[in-house]
Amino acid sequence: MVEKLRDAGENLNQPDFEQVFMPHLDAAYNLARWLLRNDQDAEDAVQEAYLRAHKAFSRFRGGDGKAWLMTILRNVCYTMIRKLRSHETPEPFDEEIHQPMGEAELQEIFRRKANAETLHRALEKLPDEFREIIVLHDLEGLAYKEIAQVSEIPIGTVMSRLARARGRLRTEIIAANARETLS
Amino acid sequence: MNHDEAAKLLGPYQDGELDLATCLKLEEHLADCPSCRQKLAGEKELVDFIHAETPRFKASPFLQTRLQARLRETAQPQQKGGWSLPFAFPQFALLATVLTVAFISCLVVWSLSPSSSSLARDAVADHVRSLQVNHLVDVASTDQHTVKPWFAGKLDYSPQVVDLGPSGFPLIGGRLDVLDHRNVAAIIYQRRKHYINLFIWPSGGDGLHDRLSNQDGYHVIGWSKSGMNYLAVSELGEKELRDFVQMIQEQTVDSRPGE
Repeated sequence: MVEKLRDAGENLNQPDFEQVFMPHLDAAYNLARWLLRNDQDAEDAVQEAYLRAHKAFSRFRGGDGKAWLMTILRNVCYTMIRKLRSHETPEPFDEEIHQPMGEAELQEIFRRKANAETLHRALEKLPDEFREIIVLHDLEGLAYKEIAQVSEIPIGTVMSRLARARGRLRTEIIAANARETLS
Repeated sequence: MNHDEAAKLLGPYQDGELDLATCLKLEEHLADCPSCRQKLAGEKELVDFIHAETPRFKASPFLQTRLQARLRETAQPQQKGGWSLPFAFPQFALLATVLTVAFISCLVVWSLSPSSSSLARDAVADHVRSLQVNHLVDVASTDQHTVKPWFAGKLDYSPQVVDLGPSGFPLIGGRLDVLDHRNVAAIIYQRRKHYINLFIWPSGGDGLHDRLSNQDGYHVIGWSKSGMNYLAVSELGEKELRDFVQMIQEQTVDSRPGE
């Protein structure tokens, strides 16, 4: 009965769904684009996630829909990644910088070329789960608690993973800058 | 708080995720530990750097248009399954249904002669296709002085491109399209989340008289001025499209084409 009423009222409910979720379109696209690495796959994933969210809208408990939508989208993205990249082997982590260096020296190398391009490349090199957490926290501004929900991990893991992700990102930038200086 | 514990909390501290008590304990440690202070500074520098560069991808406006169409389609039970059928314009059918219901009661529709009616139908088909296949513009620019020269060499006439941004109809760009069996200029304007295709081509003596047509929920307004035919197509409401047409008419300079 409730389902029937919902169906009948679907047109009336439509603006609500769009009002709640359309404002998060850029955030959704950004996450999908960073995870899937190309426009077309990202658009497909976002569309699929919105359609699933729409279908499950009756289970939405209100509030800010961003984390809810991102949870669905993340699942869609990883399903696609498994299909798309099953044959790919992950790029090995560049461990070139293993000579002991002081923090001050590392900081200096980091600053040598801290621009958009460097950051973009370094982010691209991160493993999916690290890229995901940086996008969710540092680009989309989700709180630890929301990330725990979206990525389905305990809050303690959010904390440690974000720390490792940032550490790795910084190392990638430093490694790239150091390589550039050497060559 | 010992050093190892503190080192783990620097990120959450920087992110404002620590409770007050832990915050105070950490700050106590920081006051005595230069290594943690340096690590915290490095962490802050990295986060500030990410925030400053924000390597964020933005969704294209077409994605939103398509998404809304799909959502509205799935909201209508009788339309379900439409996308799996290989018919030509599912979005067209959907928008047509929605808009016809919405507007039909308040529309005044002039009947068109058969030839101009097929013209309106073709123009609507062009409009729908432009929204559908992610090919709204060939040249994307809000600058009329970029859009107009783009057509040079592609058409044997030069369409007037006016900017209605200040009036709430920003210019989006231009596209080459086919209408009335010839290449025509399509100038694209935006109104909120709707798009307007304005087709312009030389009338060759066979002018369009001010006409409004309602093609399956789309509005088409045609007119001729200074030897050029104009056809505006949109899913916008009739009144808004009329306002748009009036502004275009006021701003197109009365001169012969090609000048």
